[in-house]
Amino acid sequence: MINGKDLKPRDISTIGGQLTKIELMPLPAPFDKPGMAPELKEAKPEWAEKYCAELDGIIAIDTFETPKTKEEQDALVQKFLRGVEKMLSEETNKGIIQALNLSMEYCAKCNTCSEACHIFQATNHNELYRPTYRAEVLRMIVKKYFDKNGKLIPGGKKGVMVKFIGGDIDLNWETVARLGELSYRCNLCRRCAQVCPLALDNSYFAKEVRKIFSQEMGLAPKPLHDKGSQLQLKTGSSTGVTKAAFLDTIEFLDDDCEDLMGTRYVTPIDKEGADILLIHNAGEFMAWPENPTAFNILFNEAGLDWTLSSDLMGYDNVNYGIWYDDLQAKKVAIAQNEAAKKLGVKRIVIAECGHAHKAAAVVADRFYPGSDRVPVQSFLPLLRDLIMAGKFDLDPSRNDFPVVLHDPCNVVRQMGIVKPQRDILKAVMKDSKYYEMKDHGVNNYCCGGGSGFAIMSAMNFASYRDNVASRMKLKQILEAWGEDVVLSEGPKYICAPCSNCKGAMREIIHNYGLSRYNIHYGGLVELVVNAMTKFDTPYMEFLRDE
Amino acid sequence: MFLTIFCWVALICFFGASFYKAYKFAKMPMHGRQDLYPIPLETNERMHYGGSYYEDDKWYEKPRHHNLKGEIIDMLAEMLFIKKLFIHQNSLWWISYALHLGIYAALGWTVLLFIGAFVGPASVFGSIIYLLTIVAGIMAGVLMTVGAIGLILKRLIKPEFKNYTTPQEYFNLFFLLCVSASGLLVWLGDKSFEYGRNITRAMLGIKSFAESYPEGMPIILIVHILLLGAVMIYIPFTKMSHYVGKYFTFHKVIWDNEPNLPGSKIESEIIKQSKDPKPSNQWSAPHYQPQPASEEAVQK
Ligand code: SF4
Ligand code: SF4
Repeated sequence: MINGKDLKPRDISTIGGQLTKIELMPLPAPFDKPGMAPELKEAKPEWAEKYCAELDGIIAIDTFETPKTKEEQDALVQKFLRGVEKMLSEETNKGIIQALNLSMEYCAKCNTCSEACHIFQATNHNELYRPTYRAEVLRMIVKKYFDKNGKLIPGGKKGVMVKFIGGDIDLNWETVARLGELSYRCNLCRRCAQVCPLALDNSYFAKEVRKIFSQEMGLAPKPLHDKGSQLQLKTGSSTGVTKAAFLDTIEFLDDDCEDLMGTRYVTPIDKEGADILLIHNAGEFMAWPENPTAFNILFNEAGLDWTLSSDLMGYDNVNYGIWYDDLQAKKVAIAQNEAAKKLGVKRIVIAECGHAHKAAAVVADRFYPGSDRVPVQSFLPLLRDLIMAGKFDLDPSRNDFPVVLHDPCNVVRQMGIVKPQRDILKAVMKDSKYYEMKDHGVNNYCCGGGSGFAIMSAMNFASYRDNVASRMKLKQILEAWGEDVVLSEGPKYICAPCSNCKGAMREIIHNYGLSRYNIHYGGLVELVVNAMTKFDTPYMEFLRDE
Repeated sequence: MFLTIFCWVALICFFGASFYKAYKFAKMPMHGRQDLYPIPLETNERMHYGGSYYEDDKWYEKPRHHNLKGEIIDMLAEMLFIKKLFIHQNSLWWISYALHLGIYAALGWTVLLFIGAFVGPASVFGSIIYLLTIVAGIMAGVLMTVGAIGLILKRLIKPEFKNYTTPQEYFNLFFLLCVSASGLLVWLGDKSFEYGRNITRAMLGIKSFAESYPEGMPIILIVHILLLGAVMIYIPFTKMSHYVGKYFTFHKVIWDNEPNLPGSKIESEIIKQSKDPKPSNQWSAPHYQPQPASEEAVQK
């Protein structure tokens, strides 16, 4: 095993064995004492035997059984190279080729991006997780095995010139397998790209390797593909919830809301020609039903002309394809747009799900002509305007507990929605209880759940997510409040207006035992409903228990 | 005569190859959106905190705002000052900026030489040009030399740089160092950069090299001219041509948040691209293969 500080890009081809071991960044109080923070889980021998634990002992791709025979190993390398050729093709990889080529060609190796990466920091600067590491490996492969037009040179280039230009790598199955795993150590948060003096983006390399694995080799983590986008395309939702189950759930939620708040709000479903089609992340209905219920209360109270859809692809806004597979992303986005067109709504409003914001509004924006597109917008400006217009009677003193706002990367850095959520929070709570993390807004750090990690828990991957990918977020939360607030008795609330981020927060709270500090998490709309003077009962469960 | 032709070839190659490179990037297909905020094209308030038009309810009905001033200021700050490096990695900025400022000074020096070839130092304007040429020339030589040595040392000493640096990348820096160092050596014997004016005069056909150097050209000058020309021919073919790339990475990639609205230019481009033939080298995974009719119907 190579010490993470000494690791070089070429070492990825090391034959056999685990390449390096993760060391973890120290955390602030109260996790600065020995034994307070959990350790990473090692892969069980039977997992490591079957899947690829050769990178850092973590296994992300639960469909990728490592090749055992020489033939299988060679076949893997050849398949990968064919995938790289397609990645480099202007025809096959049209949707990213210009941006990818620029990032491939121009890196100045200045390392400005490294310090911006929460994974690199969380692993105590292990070279493997430097944003440029996987980029450099891919660059070396391209320089050695492809001509300047991106055509594969069987056996690769030979001689000193290839070493001179930086193609000094021997591609073996270990390299391919490790690169595949390494592509799932990056949250695709693009924080590194934001600081690059040349505006290059290292997340492309992680995503392109994921794409090669999925699109060429048919290998993607099950929660993203088989149980994710494939399931969504078949049943309408990645949760597997069918139309009938969805309708039942909504009825149940409306009843529940009436029982709790004393007022019945009927969720409109399939209302043709409505102004707004609201689409939730369907995971909310199961895991955080108070969130869609809060939307129901707010939209009905405001008298909006809105509806949910029960159409296949109309009630789940997720689009996992944007993390690993272009075709899946396109199929899902097109189907969601079709569902909106069928209802004849004027606009799609995306509820609290960050990646769905980006997928529907930004990524899908150039999938088909604008005239065929139902306009897509975020719920945030809509809700901000409703609050500013005085549609709800709000008492900020009802949210009388420390709240720290987490910014979902897709909403801020990748879509530029920064102020509305702050305007909303300022209207529903006192300034003295509102906390910002040191790096916030477009400079935020990923929650650790980005790019699919929030839903990936096979083998020991959850341990990587919670202890590595989410480590910086925990540090930020603890530092934003400070030790006194963290250790104070009253409840504290992490406001994460995104389903995936909430998934990550749930795991952070669980992994580090934050419940003992009375720390809770949830969305933004819940705080708005909780501030409504109309209701006597507090909206959040943890307040009712008090 | 050879040197005069070589100088012209170098200049033409530099600009020609750089434009060709830009043309190649420009004609690549339009990519999916890669917006990364803050984007300076947004309103003054929003560009500071990274906001966008998506902060408006019914954004698609609102007029689009193009903050040209913000874009130009940000672009100049990045081009002339390498702002992001200054903010995010100040220790490297000093060395890198020395090299870049040296190159800018060398470009300014070249322009001044061409002007100086026409106006002698006798007039007020001519003497200003004469003085500026000397200042720019010294700046170019010193800053490029300091920057290149600094960057080579940093790459050799610091493992986090060394492990990622290819032989060609050392060579590139060394090449620049040779150009600037040889320039400084020439300057030691020619404090007013007369040789530069002689080159431009020869290039413009005003006075040949032979006339300017009746006793023959110093070897170091010949070496310097050859190196300077060679580096100009070489740069566009390497990643040192990032002056081309940087335009695209900022303007056409991370700042391009132009939405695909009905009737927009983006929409026409999408319609045009949708008529492109299907790729001949399609991906091979099972879900990329034609679906059974029943499944396709579900997916539609
Ligand atoms: S900041 Fe940009 S140029 Fe510098 S190493 Fe990172 S990707 Fe390369
Ligand atoms: S995209 Fe995010 S996680 Fe990935 S390398 Fe960049 S900063 Fe790190």
